[in-house]
Amino acid sequence: MSEWSPYMRGGVSRRSAGFLLACALVTLAAGCGKRGQQTIVVGSKNFTEQIVLAELFAQQIEAHSAMRVEREVNLGGTLLCHDALVSGKIDLYPEYTGTALLAVLKDPPENNPAKVFERVRSEYRARFGVEVLLPLGFNNSFAMVVRGDDAERLHLRSVSDIAPYAPKWRAGFGYEFIERPDGYRGWAAAYGVHFAAAPKILDLGLLYRALQDKQVDVVAGNTTDGVIESLHMVALADDRHFFPPYEAVPLVRRATLEAHPEVRATLEALAGKISEDDMRRMNYAVDGEHRELTDVVREFRKQKGL
Amino acid sequence: MTWYDFLVQNRAEVWARSVEHIGLVAASMAIALAIGLPLGIAIVGRAALRRWVIGTANVVQTIPSLALFGFLIPVPWIGGVGASTAIVALALYALLPILSNTSTGIAEVDPAVVEAARGMGMTPGQVLWHVQLPLAAPVLLAGIRVATVLCIGITTIAAAIGAGGLGVFIFRGVAMVNNSVILAGAIPAAFLAIAADVALGLFERSIARR
Repeated sequence: MSEWSPYMRGGVSRRSAGFLLACALVTLAAGCGKRGQQTIVVGSKNFTEQIVLAELFAQQIEAHSAMRVEREVNLGGTLLCHDALVSGKIDLYPEYTGTALLAVLKDPPENNPAKVFERVRSEYRARFGVEVLLPLGFNNSFAMVVRGDDAERLHLRSVSDIAPYAPKWRAGFGYEFIERPDGYRGWAAAYGVHFAAAPKILDLGLLYRALQDKQVDVVAGNTTDGVIESLHMVALADDRHFFPPYEAVPLVRRATLEAHPEVRATLEALAGKISEDDMRRMNYAVDGEHRELTDVVREFRKQKGL
Repeated sequence: MTWYDFLVQNRAEVWARSVEHIGLVAASMAIALAIGLPLGIAIVGRAALRRWVIGTANVVQTIPSLALFGFLIPVPWIGGVGASTAIVALALYALLPILSNTSTGIAEVDPAVVEAARGMGMTPGQVLWHVQLPLAAPVLLAGIRVATVLCIGITTIAAAIGAGGLGVFIFRGVAMVNNSVILAGAIPAAFLAIAADVALGLFERSIARR
């Protein structure tokens, strides 16, 4: 290691100057990249399934068109993806109909998948100039997850089964679950669940770790999380059908579809092709088996003849 | 609703979160100082040890905070879910500027002055306390100032492990797709950082004048 320079007044401003310069260069590079008409930018949120789906979209477009695909994955959440899409920083990203309905459009919850899809499709078209393509085939809903040994010992199958134990339990939830209208408050009321203390609020990525380490007894994960099985945890059935549908759909800018009409057909070839099991398996291959993302997606496309 | 309206309407919670935020910063800075100052002094003149200690502090800086929280959850006493994990992680992040400036500041004191002090019959402890530390004070304080501002900024991540602070608004806003809520956390945090920077800057100057 070279001589460590102390953080002096000048040191800080030099650092931020360097940071600004780096930002400027990145922006410049991105701008140059977009100058070529044949580039399309695929985005995703910051969790495995989204990155897998973005890679799938990207490979699909690369395989069936002459366009160059840029991957702008791991954007921090629905908000960032939505803003990036509407402002044209990205051309498409995978979203879930329920999330679009409740978090973006801020509509009241609705249980009929077809109604949710139609509403989201017409609103996105009118308000954002964004096309909602056909659902990919799986539903990624919230899932209440408990440790496997608890599930076995207490015979827990569905969410209703935990109500008697909840007063002695601690819960761990993500910010999204706490804030959303289809989240904690409504869920606790629908199932009559009362926990010992206010739920611990954690980042999504830390929930399963906290559950595994017995810091909490139940967490709100997602039905397609690959690690549920690998960590010997159990996702409880939503027996009162509280959660609205969260069908995965590609969202694409209308301007992009107009400039490259082949993108629609390419992506709609994926409609109905991904089952919940398929998705869980791919998530697990990446998260649990630490396999290369591009290989996992390539294998899936081969297997489905895409 | 603009961020300002949100801030005014939720001023009680913004205030409580700010107090929580300052508490987290104070606790982690106290730990970072308690470790960083003695360790920074101890590594002066021990090149191998210094490389090792500063190198470790460097590596800690590169660990993403969520990963660090993840490592800390299973650790008994200091880990778990809540403020203690956040404080440990933040203290680790604040350590580098304190360590490096303390050791550099003391190492850069003119050897002739140190020699003269020894010649006057001062013990090593007296040399440190009466000569080296006062002369190194500006560099030391600059390190503490940087560490404090840095700490106020990264304390927003404490909300990821249920420790509260102004980061709660940022995480909540991201989850709700609501910029006003994000800004209601980010702007007070930025204000705190600027205020701390100015206050410590003034303190630095008053020390230098003496």
